[in-house]
Amino acid sequence: MNHLIYLYGTDWGMGQFPICSVWMILFTPLVAAALITLLTGRQKGLSAALSIGAILISFALSLRLFLLFALKGIQHHPHPIQWLVVGNTVRINFGMTTDALALLMLLVVTGVGSAIHIYSLGYMKGDPGFSRFFACMSLFTFSMLGIVISSNFIQIFIFWELVGVSSYLLIGYWFERPSAADAGNKAFLTTRIGDVGMMLGILLLWSHAHTFEFTELKAKLPTLGLPVGTLALIGALIFAGAVGKSAQVPLHVWLPDAMEGPTPVSALIHAATMVAAGVYMLCRISWLILPSQTALWLIAWIGAITALMAATIAIAQNDIKRILAYSTLSQLGYMVMAVGLGGPTQAMFHLTTHAFFKALLFLGAGSVIIALHHEQDIWKMGGLWKKTPITFWTFLIGTLALAGVPPLSGFYSKDEILLLAIERNPMLFVMAVATAFLTAYYMGREVFVVFFGKPRDYHAYDHAQESPWVMTLPLIFLAALSIVAGWYSKVPDFLGPPHEAQRHSSLLTGGLILVPLFGFLVAAKIYWKAEPSDAPVKVALGNLWTLVENKYYFDELYHWIIQYVQGTIAIVCDVFDRWILQRLGIGGLSVGTGLLGRTVRLLQTGSISGYAFLIGLGVTVIIYYAVVR
Amino acid sequence: MMSLYAIQLECLISIWGILILLVDAFKPIPNKRTVGYLAAGFVAVALLYSFAMQPVPDTFFHGMFRLDPFALYFKRLFLLALAAVLLMAAEFSPRIESGVAEFYALLMFCAVGMLLIASVNDFILLFVSLELVTITFYVLASYLRRQIPSLEAGTKYLILGALSSGFTVYGIAYIFGTTGTTNFDKLAEILNSQTGPPASAFIFGMLLVLTGLGFKIASVPFQVWAPDVYQGAPTPVTAFLAVGSKAAGFALLLRVLYTGLLPVSLSWNALIAVLAGATLLYGNLGAIPQHNIKRLLGYSSIGHAGYMLMGVAAVNALGAGAVLFYLGQYAFTNLCAFLAIIAVTAATGSDEIPSFSGLGKRSPILGLALFLSMMSLAGIPPLSGFFGKFQLFAAVVQRAQTDSKYYVLAAIGAVAVVISLYFYLGVGRAIYLQEAEDATPIVVSKPMRFGLVVCMVAMIGIGIFQRPLVHASIMAAKVFSLH
Repeated sequence: MNHLIYLYGTDWGMGQFPICSVWMILFTPLVAAALITLLTGRQKGLSAALSIGAILISFALSLRLFLLFALKGIQHHPHPIQWLVVGNTVRINFGMTTDALALLMLLVVTGVGSAIHIYSLGYMKGDPGFSRFFACMSLFTFSMLGIVISSNFIQIFIFWELVGVSSYLLIGYWFERPSAADAGNKAFLTTRIGDVGMMLGILLLWSHAHTFEFTELKAKLPTLGLPVGTLALIGALIFAGAVGKSAQVPLHVWLPDAMEGPTPVSALIHAATMVAAGVYMLCRISWLILPSQTALWLIAWIGAITALMAATIAIAQNDIKRILAYSTLSQLGYMVMAVGLGGPTQAMFHLTTHAFFKALLFLGAGSVIIALHHEQDIWKMGGLWKKTPITFWTFLIGTLALAGVPPLSGFYSKDEILLLAIERNPMLFVMAVATAFLTAYYMGREVFVVFFGKPRDYHAYDHAQESPWVMTLPLIFLAALSIVAGWYSKVPDFLGPPHEAQRHSSLLTGGLILVPLFGFLVAAKIYWKAEPSDAPVKVALGNLWTLVENKYYFDELYHWIIQYVQGTIAIVCDVFDRWILQRLGIGGLSVGTGLLGRTVRLLQTGSISGYAFLIGLGVTVIIYYAVVR
Repeated sequence: MMSLYAIQLECLISIWGILILLVDAFKPIPNKRTVGYLAAGFVAVALLYSFAMQPVPDTFFHGMFRLDPFALYFKRLFLLALAAVLLMAAEFSPRIESGVAEFYALLMFCAVGMLLIASVNDFILLFVSLELVTITFYVLASYLRRQIPSLEAGTKYLILGALSSGFTVYGIAYIFGTTGTTNFDKLAEILNSQTGPPASAFIFGMLLVLTGLGFKIASVPFQVWAPDVYQGAPTPVTAFLAVGSKAAGFALLLRVLYTGLLPVSLSWNALIAVLAGATLLYGNLGAIPQHNIKRLLGYSSIGHAGYMLMGVAAVNALGAGAVLFYLGQYAFTNLCAFLAIIAVTAATGSDEIPSFSGLGKRSPILGLALFLSMMSLAGIPPLSGFFGKFQLFAAVVQRAQTDSKYYVLAAIGAVAVVISLYFYLGVGRAIYLQEAEDATPIVVSKPMRFGLVVCMVAMIGIGIFQRPLVHASIMAAKVFSLH
């Protein structure tokens, strides 16, 4: 009977929720991925139905769990499954966390994920790898949910890597294009660099605390009395994992290239889930970071630099998705900065709203791309607002939300972070405000160039039409969420005690409202015309424009490092291997053995009398040693 | 009656051999291949029947003959080898000019000698059965009498074999002269009752007997014949030498050393250990420059004698079991190699290693069989050779706990394993990486295919599920009072 309670919970009455359903949230997408791969690969419709059905089930169960918690305060704590025990020191569980943080994230992942899955039906129509696409999507969803519910470091690391693998599959989905395959590699390898740091941090922490469990660590940490330096090192190392996954400077280079993947993938991975995993992980372990001022300082600055730098790069990009990619970098910088400023609650709030409007923007961009038959250059678009009205209006909502225009969701979440910044670190506040201005500016540029003005490619324009309902419906759903997500003012409180920065002056709020409006005004002045162009900005910025257009030459720098530093090391190793190891070591051994072999062969003369002599000699020697001596 | 029960396998095989001779004399069967397949099939039945036989604790024929688990283990091994060698002989029969039936019969009589060797418990029976085996091998080795290499092989084996037999019988005389018995059990009793080191004359006799056995297993310094005879003899005979004769030599060595001479083990174990090291190095180094696959396997068989001598020198229960296990898996591995070689030689007419180039493409099953057997001989997991070597090294290391000089032996063994990789992989490279000059596919007959598959399955199966053979070898090794 005990195991039944263990599996299904204690009470079957109303308000209770079978525990196995909690596990179902996690495993349904995995089952779907397995079924598609093994059985239904040939039936495209069935594969898509399985994948979409799976994430909808996960979404429904997450929603129910969330509502039970939010409305009735009922929480579930499934027992962890003991997974690996090595001696007395290493215990690894497979557990499940269902606290407020995890529930919110579950809802975001499955909710936005559902919209994106449905949207993919339209976007991927007619693609030869249709079933493979949905299998990968389901695998990715499983991995991401795994990160969310993980209850210990090893578990989160395993799912962390699984996310890396499945994102590699999705980014390189069109693997026949070399650029897509390269982008997949780049994403995987770059994030791996951060993961190594994360693993080191986990092990360093374990060597002091002897447990991987979050709850145990949280309780144990204050009693350990770790030196300040060690604590900062652990925090920084684990943060390295987040730097990789959430694409912070200096490991941000993979995210823009990852736009080679299909647009729904960009929306799923690079807006709502994978890149948010880094921020989520930081929030999950905020108890570890908050005590260390050094780690906080590092995190805040990395976040702020990423936010501002990505925003400046975004003003000079020409690819509709790349602009959004840099915008994502910039917003992730905000969230990381918020964590670094000691506000994981604010970070999660922005993560949530951002997931809605950035997914909306990506899907809107995808809708434009499909309408123009896979055209991504914004300078070949123009005047589309009449042709694709639903896409235009939802994209506009997303833009306003991202820029932080009230009363849309982005305003509230960004406001929280800005208020936190002015209170804790004015320098970062200035950078954040500059970023906010730039955000409004580059999003304004994108909207004006893509949807207004004269069409620049009449052939494509004439054939352009609104996307089918499977694509527009998710847009509307996400647009609605982008509007209202900030209204429910309890969202930040839901995660923890309300922050004192709530007591901000109305003057400051008013000022902050003006920032994005000012950005839009500047963008409108330059780009809201029949034939917009970058020329005036280029002249005004001069060399600075070249610098941001080339993304501060990060890729070139890394290329140079790889070519020269790694190349030099390789040459040294090669020389060592070739001359020392092969010639002297292996070569010497092989020549030596060969000579010995030939010597042995000399004994084998083929003459019987010689052989008989050898045997006789052998017997004599043996007997001499054994008997006479 | 019980005595007849004890030697029923020997009787069965002898009768069948005589029947083949008689039928061929009075009513010859034109297709000699069929006779070979029939003979092989019958031996296979006898092999199956042997599993129904139970070990008997008593001795037979006045203490000369034993039917203990050790004897049964070896009898099964010899029957297996005989069945496979008869299969090879059937494939090989077109190359024998005359007397094919006699060839089969001689193989069977030789096997009878081996079956007796498995049960030997007395120096007299030891000598008789040893000579039965050796003398038939003289004939078999020179069976292709118009071919100079075959004649040369037969002559060399005859002269050197006679020399070593002379040493053996001289040594037996010394042992009898100093102890007054030829029975192993009684010898052990007498040696146990003596105090102080054994007499020099006894040691002298013991060393001479060991010389004869060393010749059989091709241990240094009595190994010189092996490469020449392996290369020159007809390939089925080479296979039987490598599998049957070698196992027979080890059966005698284990029986003599671990029953009769166990009380004086301290006066021979160092010698065996030194010989093991020398044999390991000689066999593996000598194999490096070889171009002929049979000659290579000749050196390889010297090397493997070295590995097994490591187990003998350890003088512990683990070592005895390990040698038995090693012989069991070595039989499958070597038979597999020789089956493949015979099939290739039948098609190409050459047993030089370059003629095996591109075998993987010409005949995937032959290529795979030869490749797997080379890898198993080299001791690469998960093939059976790996676990065999593992046990032998474990036995030596166990012994080294009390006598640290044995670590040197283990180190030499490890060096030998590394060296052996070189020439075994050379054959593997020819099979898969080199292009064949003549790429015509090689046809493999059905019985051959069956034999190859059985050997390959056994190699992989024993490598992965070692339990049954380990169990059998441990049970067989329990007849010795070792720890």
